[in-house]
Amino acid sequence: MVELKVNGAVRQVDAAPETPLLYVLREDLQLNGAKFGCGLGQCGACTVAIDGAPAFSCLLPVGLLAGREITTVEGLGSPDKPGPLQQAFIDEQAAQCGYCIAGMVMRAHTLLARNPSPTDDEILEHMSPNLCRCGAHMRIVAAIRRASSRKEASRSQRGAL
Amino acid sequence: MANAQGPETTGTVAPPLPTPRKTGGIGAATPRVDGRAKVTGAARYGSDFFGGPDPAYAFLATSAIARGRITEIDDSDARALPGVIDILTHRNVGDRVKPGKTFSDKGYMGTSIAPLASDRVWHDGQIVAVVVADSYEAARDAARRLRVSYADETPSASFDSPGTETVSAESKSKEGEKAGQEKPKVGDAPRAFEAAPVKIDQHYETPTQHHNPIELFTTTCAWDGDQLTVWESSQNVYGYQNGLAEQLGLEPSQIRVVSPFIGGAFGSRGSLTQRTALIALASKRIGRPVVLEATRQQGFTIATYRAETRHRIRLGADQSGKLTALIHEGWEVTSRKDEYKVAGTDASTRLYACPNIDSDVSIVHADRNTPGFMRSPPEVPYLFALESAMDELAYAAKIDPVELRRINDTDREPIKGLPYTSRSLMKCFDTAGQAFGWSRRSAQPGSMRDGDWMIGWGCASTMYPTQVGPAAARVTLRPDGAVRVQTAAHDIGTGAYTVIAQTAADRLGVPLDKVHVELGDTALPPAPVAGGSNTTASVCNVVAKACDEIRRKLAAAVTVSGGPLDGADPGRITLINASVMDDQGRMASLKDAVAKTGHGAVEAYAENIPHGAPPTAMQNLYKGQSALAGGAKLKDRIQFAFGAQFVEVRINARTREIRAPRIVGAYAGGTIVNPLTAKSQLMGGQIWGVSSALHEATEIDRRFARYYNDDLAEYLIPVNADITEVQTIFVPEEDHQVNELGIKGLGELGNVGLNAAVANAVFHATGVRIRKLPIRIESVLDAPVPT
Ligand code: FES
Ligand code: FES
Repeated sequence: MVELKVNGAVRQVDAAPETPLLYVLREDLQLNGAKFGCGLGQCGACTVAIDGAPAFSCLLPVGLLAGREITTVEGLGSPDKPGPLQQAFIDEQAAQCGYCIAGMVMRAHTLLARNPSPTDDEILEHMSPNLCRCGAHMRIVAAIRRASSRKEASRSQRGAL
Repeated sequence: MANAQGPETTGTVAPPLPTPRKTGGIGAATPRVDGRAKVTGAARYGSDFFGGPDPAYAFLATSAIARGRITEIDDSDARALPGVIDILTHRNVGDRVKPGKTFSDKGYMGTSIAPLASDRVWHDGQIVAVVVADSYEAARDAARRLRVSYADETPSASFDSPGTETVSAESKSKEGEKAGQEKPKVGDAPRAFEAAPVKIDQHYETPTQHHNPIELFTTTCAWDGDQLTVWESSQNVYGYQNGLAEQLGLEPSQIRVVSPFIGGAFGSRGSLTQRTALIALASKRIGRPVVLEATRQQGFTIATYRAETRHRIRLGADQSGKLTALIHEGWEVTSRKDEYKVAGTDASTRLYACPNIDSDVSIVHADRNTPGFMRSPPEVPYLFALESAMDELAYAAKIDPVELRRINDTDREPIKGLPYTSRSLMKCFDTAGQAFGWSRRSAQPGSMRDGDWMIGWGCASTMYPTQVGPAAARVTLRPDGAVRVQTAAHDIGTGAYTVIAQTAADRLGVPLDKVHVELGDTALPPAPVAGGSNTTASVCNVVAKACDEIRRKLAAAVTVSGGPLDGADPGRITLINASVMDDQGRMASLKDAVAKTGHGAVEAYAENIPHGAPPTAMQNLYKGQSALAGGAKLKDRIQFAFGAQFVEVRINARTREIRAPRIVGAYAGGTIVNPLTAKSQLMGGQIWGVSSALHEATEIDRRFARYYNDDLAEYLIPVNADITEVQTIFVPEEDHQVNELGIKGLGELGNVGLNAAVANAVFHATGVRIRKLPIRIESVLDAPVPT
């Protein structure tokens, strides 16, 4: 038995301590938001927040997580009441197939929590572990910018090159 | 209904999108109706179904050789592992699973290589065993403890490998009328080429590429008596149902395939892979649901991919740049067993006016897994070659590349002289060129510079056939205005849920949020494969048809004597604002109108057979065969969507780092049902195009015919930081010949030609012509630094 704190609730899970958090979320806790895209830390589809920091849940054994705050995309809002960052993703039409999106939302969440008005370069840098195959890049970045408290767009230095 | 909106830009400096209209019919920029489900984790993809409370897990063991036979499988260690339930190999599967016919052979399969049918190994990474256990970990551990012995033979990896077999694509065609297999040819191209004052004769090459959707290839199967349910992300649920029935010796009605959300597809989930029947069999044998999550690496060999191609293009032109000869020869790799090919000469010979055209396609059999559809399968490699050659011709004839296209523009395709239903190619060039600032380009290669950065501007045409498939839909309207639309179409990220809901809202006069759409399930009426960019055209048209049937039923009921709109002409009744209205403006509520029909709700089932499809198309669709009609396959006309691609590349003179900071495209796709979802599709395509030109290639170890960069760390795709500015512009176009709603489809238009535009820009930056993709630092190491 492992005790996990997920989205504010304490959950008992019957899993070996070395089981990756991703499997426990998806199969034992029926939290399907975090996705399985590689199991190797290469795609970011499984990204969750652990004590406010982004983490690949596919690489994280649940045995290490006692007492840590685990936040998944389900913890940010629901279809009836999406959170502000989720609403920004909806408004910017950021999801195409949507498979990368829970991971993108969670990684962006950890950025905005610590830096509410990141520059474009900070956004691009922070988001680089997460892959999107549909080519929703522009809109994902636009959604993060929209959810930030930044008032005007600052042009990326990279873009000016 | 035509989309009249102006240029849209999404760049790092672009303002946020205006808040879109909350309700909207056809043409409205409506946010995705499934957006909420997708951003909150509520949307369930194929891989989110576990088949019941207590599934078993399968893990695949795959071959370590590319050619030969399995001599022995020692499974004693694997079986001894706690939790292992069953192990499937060729010894206990054999002909219990039929190989099935491939998609190009009017079947359903991506490959006819049935992995557990015999001891034969046809390619590296072929499934040699399926291990089933109580947990994923136990299954994986056991699979690794299998000791498989082989009698291996030297495999042929690709072009130029000893032992490959090259055959003409045409000679392989069994029936003359089989789609896209007749060789486009007109006039005497070899002679015209000899005589031409300006000539280009060059070879081009495109690499192996894999789809790599972020959702892995997973399958969940569960049986209830003789009824099988399969949860698997699919672009073709009816095709899967019928293909599995054939493979397993079942009636299609015994199988249900469920795929409500799909985590990316790009062609990889259009044909059935061999894994699904094996998982169904495993589940039957152990009497428990079985879940397979194939690894990212296995996805490279158990599904399909875009094969490497080679091309020779000969272009002849007069001094004014007018084409007098075009000869396109193509070579494509395929597996030893299957005859898969894309034969893109169908498109490349139809882009420009030219009196003398010849073409030829050969396929090269190697010891590889069978390739398959990947986003714009024929057009991506074949237009890379043609559009690179056109740029070379522009330099040879000293004509601006855009003007060269204008000189060779045509409103009839050159092979048979059939008219295009519409063709906005040059409008797209002019619109995109203006947005890009093309007129400020200095033509001389290497003449544009910004500090250490060598700047190149390039362009190319894109084209994609407008194809429509047969489709069926059921629509139900309830007295409170709630609408339910059911059709087994697929939303692979394209926005199908949204555009279908918009169509129903539009035709039934109800707000969008009253429309509920169900897709991706063989329990629903059939729709074609989500491929060939046909879904919006095929499905929106049939949904509109069903809605019109509902309108007729309501009109008949309200106009009878004593009805609420007594005396009105039923033909002039419209549905608007959740009411029924006659041409005098008299209104009746939906509630009264439905009551008047004597039913609790009004329902209509409609089928649609598009222009050019055979009368049996609907029967075939129920058998999972989509038979798309259109493109260059029609007898009376030709229908394509067109666009223009512009790219700026910057190459660092010191490090040779290549970036593509500006991507600008203009596209005409007939009616744009939803500018937001359409734009996402095109923009995604543009990013695919740049990725294809600068990043993506699956590397093959030629000694072993084995892919070696088979994961997402080694197979390069762009991240957010690689993409800085993309402009996607719609060019308004009306075409009511293609189908009633005038929809052309554009899921695949955005990535075609961009690889050539990038290569052309690299030439402009450096003066070095790269004819082999992808273009990476090493491709331009030797480029001279212009002074
Ligand atoms: S699934 Fe964890 S990084 Fe890909
Ligand atoms: S939206 Fe499909 S992978 Fe990002």
